[in-house]
Amino acid sequence: MSISIRELLINDGFISAADKQRIEKMAGDLNQSFIKVALNFGFISRKNYERSLVNAGYVIEEVREQEVDEDVLSKVELKFINDYVGLPLRFEDGKIVAIMADPTDQFFLDYLKATFDCEPKIIVASDLEVTWMSHKLTGEKYVKSAVYELLHQDPKSSAWITFTSPQLTFVFIFLAVFSVCLVLDFKNTSIVFNVIISTFFLLAITFKLFLALVGSRFELHQAVTNNEVRDVVDEELPYYTIHLPVYREGNLIKKLIWNLQSLDYPRERLDVKLLIEDDDDETLTAVKNLDFPGVFEVIVVPFHMPKTKPKACNYGLHFSRGKYLTIYDAEDIPDTDQLKKVVTLFDKLPLNFICVQCSLNYFNRNENFLTRMFTLEYSYWFDYMLPGLDTLDIPIPLGGTSNHFKMEGLIDLGGWDPFNVTEDADLGVRAYDKGYKVAIVNSTTYEEANNEPFNWVRQRSRWIKGYMQTYLVHMRNPLELYKKLGLRGFLGFNFFVGATPLTFLAYPLLLGLFICYLVFDLSTIRTIFPDWVLFISIFNLMIGNILMIYINMMAVFKRRFYELILFAIANPLYWLLHSIAAYKGLYQLIVNPFYWEKTNHGLSKINNPTNVVK
Amino acid sequence: MRNKRTFLIIVTAILAVYYLLCAVYLNKLGYYNEEALFFIEKAKIVFGGVGNRLKVMGLTSPILPFYGILAFTSISYDLAPLLASSFGMAGLFYLISSSIVNKERNAYFFIVLLTFVFHPGILYAACAGKSIYMVLIFFYLFFYNILKFYRSNTTFHVSIASICLVTLIFCDYRFIWLSIFFIPLVLSITINSLNLSEQESIFRLFLSFNNPSLRRKLINKTFALYIIIFILPIVCILFYKLLNLTHAEDMNYFIESPYATWSIITDKLNYDLAATAVNYKLPDASLMVSAKILIFCPLILVAIFLFKENTYQILTLLTPFAFIEFIRIKYDKIFVTFEYYLLFLVLAFLCILIKAPSVRYTRTLTIIFGVLALSQLYSGYYYLKNSQVIDEKNFYSALFERKLNLKQADNQDIASYINSLPAGAEVLMDDAIAYPIAAFVNAQDFKKLVLPYQDNYLQTVEAPDKYADYILVATRQNIVFTYSQLSDKYPAILKSINSGISLVNVYETNDWVLYRIR
Repeated sequence: MSISIRELLINDGFISAADKQRIEKMAGDLNQSFIKVALNFGFISRKNYERSLVNAGYVIEEVREQEVDEDVLSKVELKFINDYVGLPLRFEDGKIVAIMADPTDQFFLDYLKATFDCEPKIIVASDLEVTWMSHKLTGEKYVKSAVYELLHQDPKSSAWITFTSPQLTFVFIFLAVFSVCLVLDFKNTSIVFNVIISTFFLLAITFKLFLALVGSRFELHQAVTNNEVRDVVDEELPYYTIHLPVYREGNLIKKLIWNLQSLDYPRERLDVKLLIEDDDDETLTAVKNLDFPGVFEVIVVPFHMPKTKPKACNYGLHFSRGKYLTIYDAEDIPDTDQLKKVVTLFDKLPLNFICVQCSLNYFNRNENFLTRMFTLEYSYWFDYMLPGLDTLDIPIPLGGTSNHFKMEGLIDLGGWDPFNVTEDADLGVRAYDKGYKVAIVNSTTYEEANNEPFNWVRQRSRWIKGYMQTYLVHMRNPLELYKKLGLRGFLGFNFFVGATPLTFLAYPLLLGLFICYLVFDLSTIRTIFPDWVLFISIFNLMIGNILMIYINMMAVFKRRFYELILFAIANPLYWLLHSIAAYKGLYQLIVNPFYWEKTNHGLSKINNPTNVVK
Repeated sequence: MRNKRTFLIIVTAILAVYYLLCAVYLNKLGYYNEEALFFIEKAKIVFGGVGNRLKVMGLTSPILPFYGILAFTSISYDLAPLLASSFGMAGLFYLISSSIVNKERNAYFFIVLLTFVFHPGILYAACAGKSIYMVLIFFYLFFYNILKFYRSNTTFHVSIASICLVTLIFCDYRFIWLSIFFIPLVLSITINSLNLSEQESIFRLFLSFNNPSLRRKLINKTFALYIIIFILPIVCILFYKLLNLTHAEDMNYFIESPYATWSIITDKLNYDLAATAVNYKLPDASLMVSAKILIFCPLILVAIFLFKENTYQILTLLTPFAFIEFIRIKYDKIFVTFEYYLLFLVLAFLCILIKAPSVRYTRTLTIIFGVLALSQLYSGYYYLKNSQVIDEKNFYSALFERKLNLKQADNQDIASYINSLPAGAEVLMDDAIAYPIAAFVNAQDFKKLVLPYQDNYLQTVEAPDKYADYILVATRQNIVFTYSQLSDKYPAILKSINSGISLVNVYETNDWVLYRIR
């Protein structure tokens, strides 16, 4: 057993001598152990590694039940043991007992001897188990930082408090005054209320149409051209961190690896973090059982409430080393040249641009009615609305994934808000708030559209709740926000982030009222809808619906998804689903604001071919 | 660039003031037209009326020009149509000229300016207070975006074109028929946009039909393009008709009711008068209209020549010809008004401007352009002079002969009398024909009128002695007296029903009698 693991792997034919040299060089550059690099940069699969160890006579043990000594753990630094895949546990018989993925790693053995001043006793364990133990036992400092960093650094931007006292006071005073007015003068109060709602709707519709037209104007504009991507020199590319927060998505791991391997970016410059919750054995087991190499590093996020994606990402941030960072979901298929495009764009943009958002769309768009509607919506959102916001310099609520950050800018902002369930949208606004800018790039990531209604409502209720949270957080001091964003930004934020949930909440009520007015000929309704108000309301309903449907059609026409065009007509029905989700979101905002409604992925039966950009 | 833009804005502003001064001057000479008066009356109902105004707000047609006037009523009801048309035409000038100014085509700019200052048709559109300005603007924008789409193939341009088509239809419903001539064009556009090595359209079509994959692509894209261009107009019209049905119990209320649109009675009257005159005149025969257009606007030939290498773009330019011919056949008892001739003037400018960057800026072309533009000034003058449409003749008389037009003077006198009635007096009148009088009634006295949009109108007609103090009745001399219930027969009917009713003639003109009820 005196032969080192790296020699063993060569002897077993799992890596070549050239690979060994390359791994050693990378390990030196990254300050990581040989085995960490070999396993996380796609040189060898875990199955093969275990095979080599077992053939060499090592016994791979289960280590989760091992006794640990807090004093021993207090002497180790998580980042170091994470990089060297080893963890000292306790003293036993005058020796320091440690678990290691590579029992022949002399550097770590020396570290143990030097630190604990005794001989080590090594228990060989899977690298994933070592990682799990390391983060679980020594990650508390980092997970607390992930949860509370923003709250400490910038409490006004944290959604830790959903409703502030002034906001509650305002809401209750408003409700009280409104009720009193209704009692005193029902007719005129209703009229004033209707006028406000109708005008608001009219402005919201006009604003959205305007945004869509502005966005569509630049549909031929290419932020980064193919020639520019071709001119990129691989050796000059910076480290790029990719966060992949997953939870119970073991079935997607194989797809994930395939998609990552398709990325056109030098492997050694990638820093891919698969962020797994500590109770997510399903995903961890799926990674263990992989019989082919993967290009990602597993980071185990220790338990801490709230159990949200932004918390996981914040935690992962501590172990990330990229100059740029992006987030993908497990099932995402980014355009293969996306990272290079982003790097090129960042090089072209002024320094205050800290984020680049890519378009999102769906690979399973033709699966069923819901996926078709979802595709229509996303095409409109990412192809027209966000470029529209970008052109008008209005805060962009970032999409859930494929938003690429400059690492230092992201850290300066305090990372994601773990208490906000649409942390991405919040971060986009926060970036503008702090004087940073967000750009849009002509690259698409294909996701899996939710194809199951209940799952869809769960996901959408979280998004709408998040929008409400984001709105409440940033409107704590409207005057200050106005000063920071300017009139255009302030109005844009109100109509885009604030109006979205409100529209969905009001939509079924107004639609119901109008149908009753038509079907039952409720002439009495005219007393609270004077001619002007009724006129605007009918205009909103008719023209608003028509225009929104039409913009959806435009968006899929632009994407050349011609077969989806007529489905846009079903949007009024689809919006009713939004309304259900909005009411659910509102309820949760009050009773359980930080609860993360998990969306189940991997339900689609459609294959997801890699989106190779030639 | 900024200097040029500022210069253009200044020229546009001067042009708007020039139009406005001309319009006010003509107004003082007594020139009024039915369309403007109709909209003024409806605007007064919207802002000063009592009763069910929703129908007037939503179903007055054409709706967009009506709203264009509403926007200016806060300045003055009487000036609102003039302000709208003056500023509108100045706006059209800005739209056309802005693309020339950017391309260093000073001679072209001068020619366009000359046309906008002196062309009688343009002056008619700008100074008459009619909705022609809005039709021209949206017609220009529609074709501008369609031609841009051919070049860029972007959704933006095709969707803006579709939106412009909707607005055009809501400026003049007859433009709905323009759509049908685009139906074959769309197929041609799709074939052209397919990525094929073959260049000839007919062979491209052959290739596309014989390859299953291309065929599917062709069908999908053609269908999608149809949807993108036509769904918006179709759905908007459908919804608008539904609203007519729910609020007026008639799907075609907006185009068929004299309470909703001014043109129903005016067009019919115009034709009847021309057809029954001693030297009767009938609308031009088919194809003659197209020939007249070519003489009226020879620049369109230059435009077609410039696009000679693009089949479907030439076809696009020919669609307005087909449209006019269709209008001529479809509405055979209506004269083709000046508005439709002016479309070609705008279209010709548009094509020349679009093609200008890719055409050599030669002296010959500029001279041809200038000579034809000058000849158009004369043809515009000639056509206006010999127009068969009464309003166009009136405008010509006022503009070139400065003849005082006293036609509305009587109406103004009656309106003045109504204004002088004590507050609380109620005057029953039918604004299907009496809208010129209602338009002259002061806004603050408008509540005195009992009009058909009000719920109590019918009961007032049935028993005016109980619900009104005065009745305005059309005399037999009034050329539109047959279009209203409140004609000279009405007092006789009333007396036969209720012998106790006493009607005292308190004011009388050639066309109207105002009775006081005792």
